[in-house]
This record gives sequence, C-alpha cells and structure tokens, in this order.
Amino acid sequence: MSLLREAERCLANQHAHNLNAFITPLSRSGQWLDRVKEADQRSEKGTPKSAVDGRLISIKDNICTRQLPTTCGSGILDKFTSPFNATVVEQLEGAGAVIAGKTNLDEFGMGSHSVHSRFGPVKNIRRDSAGHEISAGGSSGGSAVAVAAEQCYAALGTDTGGSVRLPAAYTGTVGFKPSYGLISRWGVVAYANSLDTVGILGTNTSSVRDIFAILNHHDPRDPTSLSKSSRSRILSQLQTSPLSTRLISKPLRIGVPLEYNISELTPSVRTSWLLSLAHLQKQGHTIHPVSLPTTKHALSAYYVLAPAEASSNLAKYDGVRYGTRGDGPDGNGQPEGVLYSNTRGTGFGAEVQRRILLGTFSLSADSMDNYFIQAQRVRRLVQRDFNAVFSAQHPLFDARGRSDEAAAEAEVDVIVCPTAPSSPPRASDLSSGSKSPLDAYVNDVFTVPASLAGLPAISVPVTVAEPGRDSGVDAGTDGLAGIQVVGQYGDDELVMSVGELLAGSRLSEQ
Amino acid sequence: MLRPRPRGTVRLLRFTPVTRPQNLHLLQFLQFSSLPTRSAPTPSVQPDSSDRVPLRKQLKQDAKALKAQKRQRKESEEASREIWELTVGVEIHAQLDTKAKLFSRAATSTSDLPNSNVALFDLAFPGSQPEFQAATLLPALRAAIALNCDIQPVSRFDRKHYFYQDQPSGYQITQYYEPFARNGYVDLYDHDGIAHEDGERIRVDIKQVQLEQDTAKSQEYPPSSQLLDFNRVSHPLIEVITMPQIHTPATAAACVRKLQAILQACGAVTTGMELGGLRADVNVSIRRREEAPGKNHYDGITGLGQRTEIKNLSSFKAIEDAIIAEKNRQIAVLESGGVVEGETRGWAIGSTETRRLRGKEGAVDYRYMPDPDIPPLVIGEDLISRLQATLPTAPDQLVAQLTGPEYGLPIEDAKPLIELDDGARLEYYQDVVEALHSIRPGQDAATRAAFARMAGNWVLHELGGLLTKADRAWDSEIIPARSLADIVDHLQQKLITGPTAKQVLAVVFEGDHRPIPQMLEEDNLLLRPLSREEYLALAETAMAQNPQMVEQIRSKNQLGKLGWFVGQMMRTGEKGRVEAPKAEKVLRELILGKA
Repeated sequence: MSLLREAERCLANQHAHNLNAFITPLSRSGQWLDRVKEADQRSEKGTPKSAVDGRLISIKDNICTRQLPTTCGSGILDKFTSPFNATVVEQLEGAGAVIAGKTNLDEFGMGSHSVHSRFGPVKNIRRDSAGHEISAGGSSGGSAVAVAAEQCYAALGTDTGGSVRLPAAYTGTVGFKPSYGLISRWGVVAYANSLDTVGILGTNTSSVRDIFAILNHHDPRDPTSLSKSSRSRILSQLQTSPLSTRLISKPLRIGVPLEYNISELTPSVRTSWLLSLAHLQKQGHTIHPVSLPTTKHALSAYYVLAPAEASSNLAKYDGVRYGTRGDGPDGNGQPEGVLYSNTRGTGFGAEVQRRILLGTFSLSADSMDNYFIQAQRVRRLVQRDFNAVFSAQHPLFDARGRSDEAAAEAEVDVIVCPTAPSSPPRASDLSSGSKSPLDAYVNDVFTVPASLAGLPAISVPVTVAEPGRDSGVDAGTDGLAGIQVVGQYGDDELVMSVGELLAGSRLSEQ
Repeated sequence: MLRPRPRGTVRLLRFTPVTRPQNLHLLQFLQFSSLPTRSAPTPSVQPDSSDRVPLRKQLKQDAKALKAQKRQRKESEEASREIWELTVGVEIHAQLDTKAKLFSRAATSTSDLPNSNVALFDLAFPGSQPEFQAATLLPALRAAIALNCDIQPVSRFDRKHYFYQDQPSGYQITQYYEPFARNGYVDLYDHDGIAHEDGERIRVDIKQVQLEQDTAKSQEYPPSSQLLDFNRVSHPLIEVITMPQIHTPATAAACVRKLQAILQACGAVTTGMELGGLRADVNVSIRRREEAPGKNHYDGITGLGQRTEIKNLSSFKAIEDAIIAEKNRQIAVLESGGVVEGETRGWAIGSTETRRLRGKEGAVDYRYMPDPDIPPLVIGEDLISRLQATLPTAPDQLVAQLTGPEYGLPIEDAKPLIELDDGARLEYYQDVVEALHSIRPGQDAATRAAFARMAGNWVLHELGGLLTKADRAWDSEIIPARSLADIVDHLQQKLITGPTAKQVLAVVFEGDHRPIPQMLEEDNLLLRPLSREEYLALAETAMAQNPQMVEQIRSKNQLGKLGWFVGQMMRTGEKGRVEAPKAEKVLRELILGKA
C-alpha cells in the first residue's frame, strides 16, 4: 500500500470514528499531501528519509507545534498556538513524518482516563463484552486511541506517572516510556518536569523502536537532556560483555516483584501476568522473585511530588502574556488587585485545580518537611530498590553504597509486571461521580515507580486466549491486558526487545 | 533669646492692651502669637519697606534654624540611643554586568526599546526551558570574592513563588537553600562615613550571596493602566545579605555605599543606586538596653527585638532616613505599651514615616522548591583562583596604598580619586605619577612621594576646578597625562611659577596640544629668575606706594599684610618671573630688617 493511500485511510478514520481522539485533526487537504507524495517517490527510489518518511504521526496536544494549536486540553490555552515547534516535532518532520493532528488528553496531562479535557472525554474504540464504553486510559488517551483506531501510523504522548503506558494497556497498543532525559522536552508543556517523559505509542514494537531512534538524541535546549558524553558512555557499557550478551547468547533473568501482587489486582490481570511469565519461561528465560519494598509508598510520593511541581509550573498561566482570559474584569477591581484569579478559576478544570491546591499545600512552609521532603526521600528509596535488583548498574549513579549482599541477591535483567491492576473501568462509572478522584490514582500504582526512578518501561498488549471457566478471567472482558517491562536506566533497547517477545501474544493455559 | 524686632512687628503691641517695657511686651507677643485662639496677626501687618529683612540675613537665619533643628534631632537621637539599641541587617540586589540574561541568550539592556530583548523562556512560554548562561557567573564570583565569601563548590537554584504581573512564570529563580557564596564580610572605616559611635572600623558579616533573576519593569498609569517591559526580566542579579550587626542608621547607609563601591570596583555591576542598578531592603529591630535580651533571633544572632522589613530603598539617604523613622516608630509603639508587629513596610522619598505594606497575616509563603529543570551549579577551584588572581584592587586596599608612603595623599584626596568617574580619575592619576617618575627616574622615596602628592593636588583640584567651571564630563584625553606630568615637573623643578603652571594647564584644557616644553619655550613662559637687585627694586617700588602699611607691619607686626606687597611685586614685575617666596623674603628683609 502506498504511503498516500495509508495516509488517506488514516484521515478517513479520523473523520469516521467519533472517538474525540483529536482536538485538532488533520485537515483534509494541505501541504501534507504533497509531502506524502514526495515520500512515496523517495520510497519507490529506495531512498526514504527514515522509517517514518511520509507516515502520519499524531502529537499529544501538550507538545508545541507552530502550525497547529497547542491547547493542553485546557480552557486557559483553548486558543493558544505556540510560536515554536517542540524539538521532537522538528525531529519527526525532519525524518519526513507528517503531523497527523493534535490529540486529546487529560488537561496538562493530569488524569488517568482522558476525561478531564476542556474538549470532552476521549472514547476507547474497545468496548467490554457487555458492549459498554470503557476508559481509554490517560492522560495520553487521545494518542493511544488514534493509534488503536488506525487514525495515524503512530503517536507521541507524554508519560509523567504512566500516561503513555496506561492508555496503551487500555487500548491494546504498545506504549513506551524511555529513560528520563533521552528524548528532548523542549516544547513539551511541563506538568512535573522531573518526571515528564515523551513517550511513543504504536501498534507494534518495531514502529516504536523506529521512532525512538529518531528522537533519542541530545538537545542543548533541554537542560535535562542527557549529554552526548553520558550517552556514549552508556552505549559502550551496553556493548561490552556481560551486558551485550543478554538475550543474544544468554537467556534473561526476569524479575517478578512480590510487592506488586496486591489485593486490588483483578483475577484477569493476574492471569495474564502469570501466562506472560510462563510464555517467557517457555522461551528459555528464567523467572526470579524480587523485592521492591518501597513500592507501597511510591504512589503516595508521586501524588505529592507531581502536584507540587505542577502547582509551580502552572503558575505561569495568568492570561497576561498569552492564553484565554476569564470573562469580565479580573481581580477585585482594586489597583493592587490581582490580574489572574478569575482567569485561573475559569480556565483550569477541576482536576487541575485539585492538583494545584494539593501542590501548593505540600510546598507551603508548614507542610514542606512532612510532604515534599518526605516524598523526595521515598523517591530516592524507590530508585535504590530498583538498583538493588538489576544486574546492570545505574550508569548515572555511583556504584558505592551497593553492597555485595545486595549483589548476591537475585539480580535480574528486567522486571515484568502488569501495567494496570485492573481492566479498563466503564466510562459510565467514571462520569457518574460515584468514585472519588483517589480511585483514579490507584490505576497508576504499577507505572509510577518507573517514573520516579526515571527508568525505561514499555506496556505491550497480550491476550488470554479462550478464557475458560478455570482461567479466572472476569466475565465481560475480552482477555486483553497490558503487560509492563521495566529495565535499568539506559536499558531502553532491552526493554523494547522483551516487550517484543510478549507483544500481541495470544496466551493460553495449555 | 530675644532679638530687637523690626518696627513693623512691634506695632503688634496694639493688640495687647497693657503697656509695659518693650522687651516684656515682645515676650508677651511671642507667647500670644502662638496661641491658636487668637487670630493670627501676621497677615494684617505689612512691614514698612525699611523694615524688610534683607535676603542674606533671612537665609542666614533659616540656615541657623535648620542647624538648630538638626542639633536637636541629633540630641534626641543620642538620648534615645542610650535607652534603645537599634539592630539593622541589609539586603541588597545588584544587577550584574553581563551580556546575556541569567537563563536565556537574550541580551541585557537598560535603554533598549521596551520588550525588544526577550526570549521565549523570559516570557514563560509553555514548553520553553531555562538555559543557564555560564558567563553570568564571572561577575557574580568576582563580587563574592571581593566580599571575602566562601565560594560553594555546589549550589542550586530554587523557585520562589508569588503572583505578580512583573513575574511571568509565577516564580523567581533564586538560590534559597544552597547559595553559591557564604560567610563573607565587609569592613567599614570612619572615612566610609560610619557613625561616630562605631569608631574607626567595624566589620559587618555577610551571610550569603545568591544569584537570582530580576523582574519585569512595570510603569503605572493610574487609574487603571500598567505597562510592562520584559527587557529586565531575568537580568542576572546578586542578592547580598548581611548579618543583623549594624546599630546605627548612618552605618547602615555607609554599609550599602561601601558594598556598592566594592561591587563597582571589582567589575561585578555596571550602575549604582542612582541609576536603579542596585536596590536595598533593610530589616530593623530595637530593644531596650537595660532589659533582658529579646526573644527573637535572626540568622543566628539572638536576643533581638521583633523586626520589620523596609523594602525597596533606592538611595543612601533613603536608607538612613527610613531606618531613623522606623526606629522612632518602633520606640513610640513600645513606649506607649504596644507591640511591634513583624511586617513589611515601605518608604517614600521625602516622607517622615514608613508605611505598612503587609502584615504577618498577609505574609507571603513563597513555597521555595528546587527547580527541577536546572542542574546544580558546580564551581571549580581553578576558576575561583583564576578570578582571585585577576581581581582589581579593592577600594580599601587602594585607600591604604594612596595614603601610604608611596603616594602620601591625605584621605580627603584619596577617597575622591578612587570614587570619581568610576575609577577613571584614579587611573589617570596613576598615569600622571608614572609619567613623572619616568621623566625623573631614580629619585629617592621622599621626592617620589612629593611628586605623587603634588600630582594628586593637580589632578583633583586644579584639573577638577577647570572641569567644574567648564561643566565638562571627565575625559582623560582633555589633558594628556604626559602633559600634566610635564607641567608638574617644571613646577617642581622651579622652571615655571605656580601661576604659570595654572595658566599652561588652562591653555591645554582649551585645546592647545603642543608638547609642554615646546609651549613653554615658544610662549616664553620659562622662568628666568630675577636677580636680587631686581627684587630689591620691585620691593622698594611697592613699599613706596603704601608707606602707611609698611608702618603698620613694622609697628603692629601685622605680617598678614606682607601679602599685599607680594601681590604688588608680582603685578609690576615681568609676568611669570616673580617668585612669591623670594619676593616675600626680600620684603621681610626690607621692612622688618631680618633675613
């Protein structure tokens, strides 16, 4: 199929499905058509610019584009167009890709179901077996649904605590969050800078790998971008034995974190986890229980740190220099009055306001020590937990403090666990208001630890075939689940490779 | 004290029915006139023209009254000082002399078209990130070294949150938890203008120096408009925080003046307070000396009273005046049984009271948070030692040098030489001295110092006088250093007279650029000494003009009058040839009969 036909089919899908995956969809005509035709010509000559030359890639609407608006799903930026392109957009366009539109999201990336958007909720293309609409996952739900509904070839999302991996798991796509600092954040609207990572969503791991190769470069405009020297140091470590032999001449040691077997885990998810491990074992890899004791505090730490940074990052939205101002005069009308209270009050949605207040509280002088500082300590411990179980050392940390005792423990190459503790909740349950905001936070329990530690993690879809009476799979699901692979910092290739071993597998208990 | 009154005033006596001796009536009038119940008589009285107080007298009286007022203020200040101890700490914010802003490549500017130097990050555009400009570290480090601080090998940037339209991101990036420099000090001397009570020298410790961003400049157009100029946003600043160790208003002002001088001398800043490049906040507390130490402690200094902060003082005078006013306000509060509230106050130039801006309940919680986008600042020992080695001489060292044996200048000359024209005057002076030494090499130390002293006088007073008279700005090219050295040298060698030297200086000042020796030759200005006979003849002519004065000098020993005869001799003698000391010597011989 020609690139042009593929693109036209994506365009048709964007307009056919009423999934609200896009805030700004691709226009029916425009310069992009010529660009795709040119890519077709290059493809015929055998000189494509890259693996994504002429392909449509959707961009989450918190990543800046000069040509299309960047709303972040917020009322305060509902008419905002950025004066510059994010580095990732420049990289993709430089590789010949065409921006397929801007995808819907939870406002500023804050949410787990892509329902907190000024532009309405994203709908999952999947339904549960009873035919009910289910959550698309969030916050990159629009990007995940666009990929799942074949409205684009692949998509970029952002992952702060699981925002790429969770919607990937809920939509049956592949969602990859690389190590922190590998992909540039210049032009990515900050939610919580120390956690924000650009992620890639695709139908399979090879498309994700292709796009990662285009984006995985140092960017001097992003002060948190990993330096060229660190990159080459990490690469040479990975190319040296013993790390270089993993999966090639040596089977993998797969870690199973005992603390992840929580009571909230639904039977269907537990089954797909077990079958995934069995699947890997069948291929000659070995399974080892590991302990990540701080995991139980990770979620709390995340919901202190991320809102704290968010309350700071979102302070800039006052409608003075850009953005949408509230109706009527702002402030109290006094000369010393503020210019922003009405604007921020009407521009931000409820979840954003909740997290700003949460962050403002945890940073205030009286609670700083009990919340923000404590949470930073927990974050350090989470990192230490991971370092203790991975056989590869963290390339950015001093090896000191790593006791031989810890090294003697079961060391593993990657960790395999579910992406989310349950299958997607019904959309009606989310909108009914019967659940507290905290219920949504629980969905992030397995994704947040890798975010806190800055580690690479991928969610791949697996299907439990012929769910029988004995399989424990809940009635009402189709057996699809997201399985997550987490690796040591810099081990992004290995994580994708292990994801590839599982992705799309139909697993059965036979 | 009663003074005789002009008649017009005396006529007011008509208002007092009783007749008494005049002085008493006057006294009564003075008392009555101060009574508010009596209609003020003054406007109804038009003094006769002959009674009008001459302007000069009026001015003199006013000056006297002002002086009395000042004396009274000083006395009451002195009295309250004995009871109350004042404690002041100072924070200054100074704009660093850098090409770029702290976190963007946009240029720094003070005079460019508003909003012409702004990067995306300066306006807090979504998705933009800070780019630390390493070059801004150089002036910051020079400042910290000049202030004797310990430079921290690792420091970090924090966000200080508050909403205001001049703060685009809703926070200022500063160094709150881990500043780049700590534990410095500044020495203040009597010649720096510290209060008399502080003696010859006091040392004020510096708690820390931190790097931070400036805000945008806002201009108010009441009632409802404000214009914002983001050129200033993120201009690199250093904040210098002293310990609360200052106990007099004058010393606080001297401290800020000295800090400014040090920052300018080491090349850390471009402009001073007068141009808005430096702003100061002060914190003020008082406590009764005889009472137990107060329960407050700030920066590790215990026993203090509750302090208040006065923000944004923009002149040295404002600092002193605001502290006096705030101290007196706190004293009044405590003496009337009240409690000093911890609050932030403001000061308007020319006012007599500080103004409450916000109280404790309105205190801003800045929610300091480490900036997650900015890596820690790691400063190498090599950079510090390199900067240390290349740091210009500090003002204190310069004073010591100039007043030392090498130059032998009085402190009154040394200070202005250092302070004038941002150090250009001093540089020029040193050029002149060097030129003098090269003209006459191999002189002994005493002669060299004499040269240097003389050069100081000419650079500062003679040349300075010409500049003032012509209302011209400093320019080292008006009188090339070599020319001034030549003039001073000729004078020193007695090859020209003092008046000739001044005349030559004026000619060069007017633009005559001939080399000095050539000019002296061509214009016939070199001194051809008069013979003794010629002096005697000149003296006798002068004495013959005024024999009475000769007599007065002889009989009443009024030696001061000799000068008149010297002047006559200079006038009648050939221009530029009569040397005053020789003329006076001859006169003494002839009039007083001694050699």
